[in-house]
Amino acid sequence: MKRTLCCLFSAVPLLCLPALAGAAETSVDSTTIFRIERRDTGTQKDTLLPATEFLGMDATKLGDGNLSLHFYGWGRADLADKSFNNDKAAGSLSYGYLQYRFKQANGDARLGRIFVHDGINNEQVDGIALRSDLPLGFGVSGFGGATVHTAHIFGEGTDGKGDGIVGGRLNYRYGGLLELGISGVYETTAPTLVLHSNGNHRLLGGDVWFSPHKMVELTGHSSYNPETSRLSEHSYLLNLKPVRGLVVSGEYNQQNDRSYQYAWAMFSGTTLQPGSNGALLNSGDTTRSYGGSASYQATKAVEVAADYKHYRRVIGDADRYGANARFSFLDNNARAGLGYHYVNAGQGFAITPNTSGSFHELRAWAMHDTKSFFGALNFIDYIFKQRVSQEKSAWEAIGSLGYHITPALALSGDLSYGKNPDFTEEAKGLIRLTYNMNYSSAGGK
Amino acid sequence: MKKLDLVTPALALLLAALALTACAQMKTLPSLPESHPEALVVGQQVDCSECHEDQQKGTLKPMNAFSHTRLFVKNHRFYAASDNRICETCHKVSFCTDCHTNQVELKPSVKNGNRPDREMPHRGNYLTLHKIEGKLDPASCYRCHGRANNERCVACHH
Repeated sequence: MKRTLCCLFSAVPLLCLPALAGAAETSVDSTTIFRIERRDTGTQKDTLLPATEFLGMDATKLGDGNLSLHFYGWGRADLADKSFNNDKAAGSLSYGYLQYRFKQANGDARLGRIFVHDGINNEQVDGIALRSDLPLGFGVSGFGGATVHTAHIFGEGTDGKGDGIVGGRLNYRYGGLLELGISGVYETTAPTLVLHSNGNHRLLGGDVWFSPHKMVELTGHSSYNPETSRLSEHSYLLNLKPVRGLVVSGEYNQQNDRSYQYAWAMFSGTTLQPGSNGALLNSGDTTRSYGGSASYQATKAVEVAADYKHYRRVIGDADRYGANARFSFLDNNARAGLGYHYVNAGQGFAITPNTSGSFHELRAWAMHDTKSFFGALNFIDYIFKQRVSQEKSAWEAIGSLGYHITPALALSGDLSYGKNPDFTEEAKGLIRLTYNMNYSSAGGK
Repeated sequence: MKKLDLVTPALALLLAALALTACAQMKTLPSLPESHPEALVVGQQVDCSECHEDQQKGTLKPMNAFSHTRLFVKNHRFYAASDNRICETCHKVSFCTDCHTNQVELKPSVKNGNRPDREMPHRGNYLTLHKIEGKLDPASCYRCHGRANNERCVACHH
């Protein structure tokens, strides 16, 4: 029954394909990628040749002009050895839905396979989602349907999710000053797993956006897990914008590992300890991180940023700090960037059997786009304070070169080479054919 | 008893009147446009305050809050959680699903290897790095790999 419902909801948008003939604006995005990968672990050499097609379509102004159809998905076929797991072919419908936008009150209805990002809710659902503004600054949204099952968990016959899900958010906005929201999600009872342990996915939460002055902005959310009867997360961000181009931020995050990760079937032997009756016993660790960052748009061509973050866990404390710079030239057709970060982490965060988890991160990139050719270079290097599997660093260099065959059609290729603790040598190649048909001139999509 | 009999229909009438008033008022509430009226340059970090000085009808928030500074991009989850409809005026949903999806076939940075300017997770040899990063901030893993997108994770972590 649940499979039938999933298929039905996912198929609804496809039933409307004939109506596309009258669509005023249709855009199709297609990216075809042929990868060539050669991996050498020292003991085994693999050559992989997977071909992947990413296909998306948006048809707007259907029916009375307020109806639209959207879908996006991918499919892969391995032309040589299997690139992943036991399947030589795979695919997924990321989303596919009909949307009706009302002309007033930001109202809209979506039906099909949808993503929901609303308050504390981040879900993929085969079902329906509705939302609307209400008078006096209030707003309401809701969703419901069948949970989308995608993952095949090792040794299990299910991905650990319940089959049905419902949720929503109620919010209040006081023009330009304040927004308060309460949201929640309720998923039907999670199936029992054989090798892992997980819990029911049910959360309640509140979110806030507060800007008492145009230079000050506070935003964030807290969530509560009724299954564990504990707060699961606080996550807040404070932005200060004292002068044009300058943003100074402070952030605070706190998660109760057990409550936050309660519905996570992974790491069941560590953060989530199963009891003899299957119940999760430990209250779990609390993870905290806080820090600050600043970014400054010095000119239209130069943006610099610096950041610092402190991590506090039961296994120890760690710090991350560094800076980035971005440059733009030739009316933004040429761009470049530099970055450096250092992570200072002790033994608790180290890769076994090391005593230090500290490392440097260096990155440099540049790209140039003309009406005919485009190209990019990207270099990233992680330098470990203590060697990992006898390797001092993990680095990768990528070069990309492409040609615009037409304004909508482009052919490009990437080559990458690197060395790291997992692969003594890692060389990858990729050919990419991109087609972006868009009859609409609006937006920057 | 008679008093009770009168209260129920009176309440129902009051609720109906309130609902009708609300519906009538909703016709006066503005909506965001379906798409940004002017084409924006792909790859340009948008500064909304260049054109929009006041708060946006339909969001009741100053447009300055949505300017795509480096920190906005880094913290965009806070804005998308309550204002994804404003994201949709310029970005297709597929722009989000480059990273945020339930079944990723390719690392976003590999799929978009010709766009090093875009913020993408797990650049470079993250296979090694995740052994450190996962201990530093497990919540950051959970956001994307918690209830989905974890097929590769559970191959080792079980």
